[in-house]
Amino acid sequence: MNSLVQRFDTNNALSEIKRTSAIIEEDGDNVSDLMWGSYGGFGNLATGIPKFNIPAVPDPSAFLRLHTDDHTDPSCRIKIQHGTTTLAFRFKGGVIVAVDSRATAGSYIASGTVKKVIEINPYLLGTMAGGAADCQYWETYLGIQCRLHELRNKERISVAAASKYLSNLVYSYKGMGLSMGTMICGWDKTGPQVYYVDSDGTRLKGDLFSVGSGSTFAYGVLDQGHHWDLSDEDAQELGRRSIYAAGHRDAFSGNTINLYHVKEDGWKFIGNYDVSKMHYEGPGDIPGAPGHGYGYSIRTAGKSSADPPTS
Amino acid sequence: MDHFPTNWGRPRNDAFDAYGTYPIQQRPNNIKDNFNGVQRTQQPIVTGTSVLAIKYKDGIMMAADNLASYGSLARFKDVQRLHAVGNHTVLGASGDMSDFQYIQSLLDDLIIEEFTEQDEHTLGPAEIHEYLSQLMYGRRSKLNPLWNSLLVGGYKDGKRFLAYVDLLGTTYSASTIATGYGSYIAQPLLRKAVEGREDTLTEREAQAILEESLLVLFYRDARSLDKYQIAKVTESGVSISESMALRTSWSFAEGIRGYGAQTQ
Amino acid sequence: MPQTRSFDPYTENGGTILAIAGQDFSVIAGDTRQSEGYSIQTRYAPKVFRLTDRAVLAVNGFAADGNMFVKKVKQRLEWYRHAHAKDMPLRAIARLIQTMLYAKRFFPYYVYNILGGIEEDGTGAVYSFDPVGSYEREACRAAGAAQSLVQPFLDNQIYFKNQVPAPGTTHPAYLSLPDVLSIVIDSFTSATERHIEVGDGLEIYIVFAKTRDLQDFETIRAKNVHLIQELTVAEDGERIFVLRRDLKKD
Repeated sequence: MNSLVQRFDTNNALSEIKRTSAIIEEDGDNVSDLMWGSYGGFGNLATGIPKFNIPAVPDPSAFLRLHTDDHTDPSCRIKIQHGTTTLAFRFKGGVIVAVDSRATAGSYIASGTVKKVIEINPYLLGTMAGGAADCQYWETYLGIQCRLHELRNKERISVAAASKYLSNLVYSYKGMGLSMGTMICGWDKTGPQVYYVDSDGTRLKGDLFSVGSGSTFAYGVLDQGHHWDLSDEDAQELGRRSIYAAGHRDAFSGNTINLYHVKEDGWKFIGNYDVSKMHYEGPGDIPGAPGHGYGYSIRTAGKSSADPPTS
Repeated sequence: MDHFPTNWGRPRNDAFDAYGTYPIQQRPNNIKDNFNGVQRTQQPIVTGTSVLAIKYKDGIMMAADNLASYGSLARFKDVQRLHAVGNHTVLGASGDMSDFQYIQSLLDDLIIEEFTEQDEHTLGPAEIHEYLSQLMYGRRSKLNPLWNSLLVGGYKDGKRFLAYVDLLGTTYSASTIATGYGSYIAQPLLRKAVEGREDTLTEREAQAILEESLLVLFYRDARSLDKYQIAKVTESGVSISESMALRTSWSFAEGIRGYGAQTQ
Repeated sequence: MPQTRSFDPYTENGGTILAIAGQDFSVIAGDTRQSEGYSIQTRYAPKVFRLTDRAVLAVNGFAADGNMFVKKVKQRLEWYRHAHAKDMPLRAIARLIQTMLYAKRFFPYYVYNILGGIEEDGTGAVYSFDPVGSYEREACRAAGAAQSLVQPFLDNQIYFKNQVPAPGTTHPAYLSLPDVLSIVIDSFTSATERHIEVGDGLEIYIVFAKTRDLQDFETIRAKNVHLIQELTVAEDGERIFVLRRDLKKD
């Protein structure tokens, strides 16, 4: 009965998706004459709006859920890789972007070397949380659109416009199963900017964001240490320290930290740091670093009642 | 956003759009459904059981019984499940018999098309198998499968060919293949008898191996029949035998104890 | 909402693939068993394919999707060759694979891909993909049924994870070809011992950069003439070989 109602209801997700699939070609590869000639082999990125193959079932998103859902059905076949702790914040010296590098599929660590900062162009960075492929693909696509904007308007796209482009794009796929929680960071005419964009269609302008299962841990450190007049070195240290905290306390985050700094003349990669090494040794002799490990027992050695000073 | 990674990447399952969160330009409107009331095969109805095939010295040999079941009912007992395709290929089918008949008609059309070209080329078993695997994979990708497991055997240009394709488009080749129940019961027997002896097995030996396997299947597969046919494809073409009967022996059942009503 | 059990368009055909990048070579390997459930369908169904003289693709997961995917990639590479009169560079093939996988985002290919070969700068490279196209360049990667058995071994032997170098020494930056081949073979013989879906045969593709001195390889080749076959098409370019070995069949 329920399905009968759904079938003839005009105001539901199913008929919406049916309409989508009706306008989308059967072959997702969209094989056209553009595959030949100088376009040869470049695929659908070169030919404008990408087309997607939708399964021919009454409810395509239920189909996708059935085969990619590792929460309600751990034995499902297709495990989409997940990214985990990311943060970005604005301060007087620009934007700090810091992320971990762990990807999990269920409880298996599928990779410990994921690049969760996506270099959209020399002035724009995007972060990756959620479906790794969704973030990589759409932020690459965003890069193409940003370049086209430059060519058409003889000036760089603003962070606001770029993030809105992405937000409108994922919104048009709402309910289809995309999963992205991203921060679009850059420096434009209005100064350093951070926008949070996710696959629900949310788009927020702000000073400080963290996304992912480890975000609560990162926020704890970040909120406590953040203020606008931070020096570059202290800001970088804060980013590093916050991701370390998430890597330490959240099982889905860890391995290494990637740190980026966006300044007026574009972004710069600061470094890659091993989370375990941060715990015991710290980032080493660099400006802003404490000169010792971040770990509690390291910091408090000889200072607590459980570990009293040896005098 | 839901920040817990195991909840990510999951399509929404809203029965209705409670908060009007769908893009306005995509608001559901009254469109015809995709299928116009057409139903797809979601389960097989009239089915054939195992097909067995092996390579031997002169080519390949394939066997299948003559039963088409309707559930547990032995509905049709004189069905031919081996089909010659051109002069070099034989096709054996298990699974849904109406889908098999559709495939037969497609292949017959294909062979006629190819014949009318009169270009000195004929389709061999490899080409037929490629055609079928594209067909089967294409139909599974439309989620409208042809519910069969098919064996394609043949001999052309001095080469033997034996391969499998099923409703998912899965393909493989080997020197012995069995579909359905036969993949559990007959395949080990076939492998033991054939592997490593493909180039020396005579026609008589090959036929004996298949008949022995069919017999074992008939004893254990409740959807099988003691009437069967055997197809051979060799240098000289395809030949499919008349129906033959298995010589069964039930005297061993006398000695079995422990399966039900017995006086002692 | 009642979920009616409908046709499942996917299955899993077992097997494992693996690739390791060296400084100026790349090794891509896969076993040849194809299975479904507890049944071995065939003992020889290749999972590793030569794409060009410098690119090899290994596919694992649902065999029908894998074969179709490889077929489509090869078609696109041929079109590229017709348009540009050269082979597509490795990193471009990697991006092509991403877009092709993502084109089926809502009806995915159930396939894990590993692409190995030589980059335009002459370095060995490995790219690994998830079923919907997220990818990454790595030094080594295992995928498939025995991924969770093989990858930790690779982490230890290739990345030297949890190993401390002897005092006064460091871990080597790149492994030699004989070392890499031994690690590949050990990975598969061990996976065969402990995973029921791995076994029967092993195909190891080896791609060498143009400039590489093949002396160490020729020594190995001389000892295994009947196992090694050259697949190179063009002269004076990268060279590509396949080494076939038996694995246990039980």
